[in-house]
Amino acid sequence: MRPYPEGVSTQPLSAIDVDVTTRTDDVWVTLVWNDPVNLMSYVTHVFQSYFGWTRDEAERRMREVHELGKTVVSTGGRETMEVDVQAMHSYGLWATLTRSGQ
Amino acid sequence: MRGFQESTDGPTSVAIAELDNEERAVIARVVADVGLLLGGEPFGMHVDVADVDEDPLFRHLRGLESALTDPDDPAVLRVLPNAAPDDREVAQEFRRFTEPELRSLKVDRLRTIWRALNEDGPEWVIPAADAMATAAALTDIRLVLASRLGLETDDDATSLHAEIDRAHEATTGRYSADIVENPERVWLGMLYEALTWLQESLMSYVMRDDV
Repeated sequence: MRPYPEGVSTQPLSAIDVDVTTRTDDVWVTLVWNDPVNLMSYVTHVFQSYFGWTRDEAERRMREVHELGKTVVSTGGRETMEVDVQAMHSYGLWATLTRSGQ
Repeated sequence: MRGFQESTDGPTSVAIAELDNEERAVIARVVADVGLLLGGEPFGMHVDVADVDEDPLFRHLRGLESALTDPDDPAVLRVLPNAAPDDREVAQEFRRFTEPELRSLKVDRLRTIWRALNEDGPEWVIPAADAMATAAALTDIRLVLASRLGLETDDDATSLHAEIDRAHEATTGRYSADIVENPERVWLGMLYEALTWLQESLMSYVMRDDV
């Protein structure tokens, strides 16, 4: 079942179809951005539990977000990155996806 | 207020904080407000929650109305951010497929907290299995408050803290100034900091065994 009526889309269906066929060839990344709200302990634990990193690795990535403004947390196909971004949003982290190299 | 500490309930571990009646009422109120903001039902009022729980189509449609474009309210946008600011098509598609589910998850977590805060007694008891969901809900609430307070950078958060300190000193008479410039902002700021402190104590509990 389509989750919403076709007529609501602002994109021509052909454009979506083309996108679906080409997306698997592209490499995408998930970025997590710094914000003043998320606690360092919380971000560390989210990284550790979701990505399966050690506490040291999770802390290193958390510090990268805090000090450099962002970090790449995962790399892969667009759909996989969408799953990761959704997970980060579920935790209230500010995550985005973009084509690798952009 | 006492922050979360580990306690054992028989063989199981739980986190327990203590709040007085006023603290419980204030936090329950902001929990309900954020639930409404995210499209949830008014907790504890008018709507039979069981009916809403049993009607996934209704829940789906409720989130769908606003799932096509970025939310107008900047506070909601902080909780449900744009996933691809440099690619409108990717951002719209992501929002269309994920936003109803994210809204439901976030409202469910808030409802669970609201119910716990409406139980009798000073203790706020969180089973170990619910601790991260509670921390995530506290994050969503703090994101909303931070947006209302205009906290966009780490420096903004530091300034807010200094502002609250000055207001506190003004009201306790350490300085001659007896007027708090913006009492509503100071009040919201104090609530934000209290929730930050509670979440920090909850994270100490959650991470007690992390290696």
